[in-house]
Amino acid sequence: MSEMWINMGPQHPMTHGLWNLRVKVDGELIVDADPEIGYLHRGIEKICEYRRYNEVVTLMDRTCYVAGIAWEQLYIMAAEEALNINPPPRAEYVRVLSQELQRLSSHVMWYAAYVQDIGLMTPFLYGMRDRDLILDLFQSYTGARMTYEFMRVGGVRNDVPVGFTDRCRKVMDWFDQRLPEYEKVCDNSTIFLERTKGIGVLKAADCVNDGVTGPMLRAAGVDRDLRRDRPYSVYPELDFDVAVYDAPDCYGRYRVRMEEMKQSVRIVRQVLDWLDRNPGPVLAEKVPRFVGTPSPPPGKEIYVERRGYPKGRGFSAMEEPHGEAMAYIINEGAEHPYRAKLRSPVFVNIAASKDYLVGYRVSDIPAIMGSVDICVGESDR
Amino acid sequence: MTDLTLATLLPALESRFGPDVKVLPSRKEVLGVVQVKGERLVEVARFLHDQGTFTHCALVSGVDWIEHIEVLYHLWSDALKGYLELTVETAPEEPHVPSVTSVWRGANWHERETWDMLGVRFDGHPDLRRVLMPEGYRFHPLRKSFELHEPEELEVKARHV
Amino acid sequence: MNATNTSGTARIITHVKETDPMEPEVPFAEVEAVQSKEYIPVIKETLTGMIQRGLDAATKPVFNWAGRNSLFPLHWGLACCAIEFAAGFGARWDGERFGVVPRSSPRQCDLLIVNGTVTWKLSHKLITLWEQMPEPKWAIAMGNCATGGGPFRTAYSVVPGVNKLIPVDVYIAGCPPRPEAMLDGILRLERLIRERRA
Repeated sequence: MSEMWINMGPQHPMTHGLWNLRVKVDGELIVDADPEIGYLHRGIEKICEYRRYNEVVTLMDRTCYVAGIAWEQLYIMAAEEALNINPPPRAEYVRVLSQELQRLSSHVMWYAAYVQDIGLMTPFLYGMRDRDLILDLFQSYTGARMTYEFMRVGGVRNDVPVGFTDRCRKVMDWFDQRLPEYEKVCDNSTIFLERTKGIGVLKAADCVNDGVTGPMLRAAGVDRDLRRDRPYSVYPELDFDVAVYDAPDCYGRYRVRMEEMKQSVRIVRQVLDWLDRNPGPVLAEKVPRFVGTPSPPPGKEIYVERRGYPKGRGFSAMEEPHGEAMAYIINEGAEHPYRAKLRSPVFVNIAASKDYLVGYRVSDIPAIMGSVDICVGESDR
Repeated sequence: MTDLTLATLLPALESRFGPDVKVLPSRKEVLGVVQVKGERLVEVARFLHDQGTFTHCALVSGVDWIEHIEVLYHLWSDALKGYLELTVETAPEEPHVPSVTSVWRGANWHERETWDMLGVRFDGHPDLRRVLMPEGYRFHPLRKSFELHEPEELEVKARHV
Repeated sequence: MNATNTSGTARIITHVKETDPMEPEVPFAEVEAVQSKEYIPVIKETLTGMIQRGLDAATKPVFNWAGRNSLFPLHWGLACCAIEFAAGFGARWDGERFGVVPRSSPRQCDLLIVNGTVTWKLSHKLITLWEQMPEPKWAIAMGNCATGGGPFRTAYSVVPGVNKLIPVDVYIAGCPPRPEAMLDGILRLERLIRERRA
């Protein structure tokens, strides 16, 4: 049988975004894979060098459009490190609340898209409906559904409104009912089980060497979650379990995400209780003024100008819904970051796709690539 | 190595590689910052991977300092629960660093991206192509000599050329 | 590598046929052949053309009515707006009640919703997809990126507005637009198509 290359993408129902999966097939069998990305490369790292610290937050929302607030916090943590600013505790709790709500909405979005790919139509409608409830919560305190522009160097823009915690508790109660129902739809479906169990296996050792992170890594049985292992923000004060499953296939990844959603609900409840008890400011008082003043048009100003602000470097890593994301900011004492580097978990997870695609059939590709949870905006930046 | 700590690892690294490795002052968010000479990079990487439990190469990136180009590696250790920062300096003209893909396969696309964005060649990389920009693009956009312009300015410029 | 550059000046590469200026566009031999053609086929052609035009005029309102009430957009997601596009077909907004059903093949579509940032790397694929769609077809630029580059208009890799590549009928503002705004854009396009019937 002769081998041939097939292009799947950039416009393909499987891709969920703009990328091109080139697979070499021998009949139905995949023998090689060469993913091609960059169709959504928007030069975010370069534009960051032209923007003041607070203005970069706008770009971070658009970096990953299903988990915008996670990237906001990632960038803000690195920038605060580089500028040596500490946010007040209430701001940290509002951030963690946003994080976990975002994780919940991102995983629900993944569930909606993935199970539809597998062949069940109802979960898409379930998922989109329940995701809108979380987006309504976001809208009530950030003003936007997806692109929030909520976090600031030294805190968050505003506090949660009056009555928010009760509304949020109601949504969490609703999710308590819904999450078992989500699982019931999948676990009682022979189609789903047949198409996910034992498909797309990537063993733990390969995961680690390939740099794969997030639910894929934990599904392979590696017990690593940066929220617990390298604590940031106020996660050490919260009580939660890390979801680990010992089946490195599509089904294991689904299981890990389902468990993470339950843990997110648990964390949100704890944060809401804390917020009820502890009022306070949400923005640090001593934030240098230039951090947020309007920017001149790009190209008009030399960005290495020095204003006597102490230089520094900031590095932050966090557990984003897709995996471990990192940001590296170099502050050279100017109003703009000298260099902003973002590490996207999806970028690496796509890069490793050869290792978990080879040996399976062409018809398994949607099931395998869907289980990775790809967000192209994040991988291409 | 179960009794591995950072206090023993960094001196062991310094004693083994001598003047090719320099431990720089650390910052609070990383375990340590180590400057490595380009020629010994793969050996150091192999040592850190095998003896130092740094099994996960999280990030390869680069910074254009105009006088030189700095390539950064962030390595994660499950035993030490933290990141180690390796930095390598290279010349701005024809910058090149040995590739660490033989140690961590995960560094593959990170190195391709660094080549794409900063023009750093990775010697021994199995497949050094552009990853984000299309093949045949002439520039390396994250160099400081590359400037951004409003699209209107560009159109005017193009008309005058 | 390059000390100075005019970097982002990426150009649209359209398919321009190289022609020799010394050589006339139509070879002389062919012109003569056309002139010496017998007149019967010409009359035949004119007649069929007339019938075709007549039929077109008679059926156009019907096709217009049918077409504008069942716009099939191409099912593809570029960036952030694609998520709102998907939400617009979810349970709360239910875009399909307007007869708008996303299809996965450009051959089945008559509406291209550009829902996100278009990069120069993508531009060729976008034009290919647009050319694969059968006439009559319309395009909607959804969101600020597709309209004019949005927050990324200064980037070296981004097309500042998709109207540099394909003709756009309706622009929807927002970053990203809410699903209501997207549905409103589709309804405005329907109104435009109805007005063009005359």
